[in-house]
Amino acid sequence: MFEFVIAFVNAIAPLLNNAALAPAELTGNIATAGAALGVGVAALGAGVAEGGIGAAAVGALAEDEEFFGNAILFTVLPETLVILAIVVIFII
Amino acid sequence: MNVISRDASNYAYVNARVKSRRAVLFDEDDYRTLMRMGTSEIARFLEESEYEAEVNDLGSRFSGVDLVEYALNRNLAKHFDDLLQWSQGTLRDLLVRYFRKFDAWNVKTALRGVYADTDPAEIEQDFIRAGELDDDTLSVLAEADEVRTVVDALSETLFGDALDDAYGEYEETNSLVPLENAVDLAFYDRLLKQVQGTSAGTREFVKFLQADIDFRNVRNAVRLARSGANLDPAEYYIEGGRLFEPSELDALADNWNELVARLRDSHYGNELADELDELDEAGSLIAFEHALDAALLSYSKHLSHVFPLSVCPVLGYVLAKEREVDNVRAIARGREVGLTEEEIEEELVIL
Repeated sequence: MFEFVIAFVNAIAPLLNNAALAPAELTGNIATAGAALGVGVAALGAGVAEGGIGAAAVGALAEDEEFFGNAILFTVLPETLVILAIVVIFII
Repeated sequence: MNVISRDASNYAYVNARVKSRRAVLFDEDDYRTLMRMGTSEIARFLEESEYEAEVNDLGSRFSGVDLVEYALNRNLAKHFDDLLQWSQGTLRDLLVRYFRKFDAWNVKTALRGVYADTDPAEIEQDFIRAGELDDDTLSVLAEADEVRTVVDALSETLFGDALDDAYGEYEETNSLVPLENAVDLAFYDRLLKQVQGTSAGTREFVKFLQADIDFRNVRNAVRLARSGANLDPAEYYIEGGRLFEPSELDALADNWNELVARLRDSHYGNELADELDELDEAGSLIAFEHALDAALLSYSKHLSHVFPLSVCPVLGYVLAKEREVDNVRAIARGREVGLTEEEIEEELVIL
């Protein structure tokens, strides 16, 4: 949630500071804001997903330590969402 | 507490632990091994399994089938206490309510023990300490010298009023049936009244309970029909199921085929096809009851798969664990009195 807010503010701040921008510059800034918003929402989704998976992983680990590898793997799996979202930043 | 709390439940955590514990329950091969053993060998087998701590703890005081039985009860209570410790929010509330069935079990144990003039120590050892009644109350129940004392000791609990009402009938008939029935009715009545009207989180719990009640109604009706006693089935009917009306159940109890056909047409039909075939073939009352147990267990398993992040997997595990304890107890008792493997196998519900 926090990441989302920071990303959003960072993207919007330059827009507010420069009242008179050239149209091309304005479009670029809006695109950056959109990308930041995308990353923020993706991070939020990953966080929600990891919450549940992490709880289940810790439960499984408490019963049997042999699950450690699987537990880590499944817990970080939703993080791929954020990585994909970051790729979008470089594309635009 | 009459309101189901609305804070977050930790379904993911509890269900992961429950699934792991469910995986180590005895399977068919374990039961086959146990069936070939004597009672002391069974105790040794348990010592190398899940039940190690309990068998070691009790090993110096008991032996043979007593050791097995006490270790089983203690292990059951330990697991269910664990469930309560891990769970939070709505999940915990629902479990606390459901585990009052062990209070019902303990009250019935006390009533039967006191009625039969059993030694208080023996009654205490038969208690399953997984419910809400504390140790002091349970001691008072076990040491009571007459049934009235048990009823009075429970006056402040949820069973109080029901037992008080039924006591007159007990005095008239000198039979425990009215009191035991009052305990069951009080438990289910309270459970459903508190849960009804609450929101989505408890829907699956209600579904599970309705199945439990439906199957219990079927069992009671069939038992009454078979017992030949002139008792009114309507008195034993538990409200809250989805399937039967009291009058209808009365008519069906005499006719197993129709009863099974009715179950097959219901919403249980799809998931329980195999179990219902077994019910159809069941020749004796015991076989019929075991087939019903298997059907309920199978339905709870189905609910656990359909609603993985709900209270259902936990309740499914509770049933499965109880079934395991019953099975091992039946094997140990059976071996002690010299039943054959086939006879013991008939007593088991394996899923």
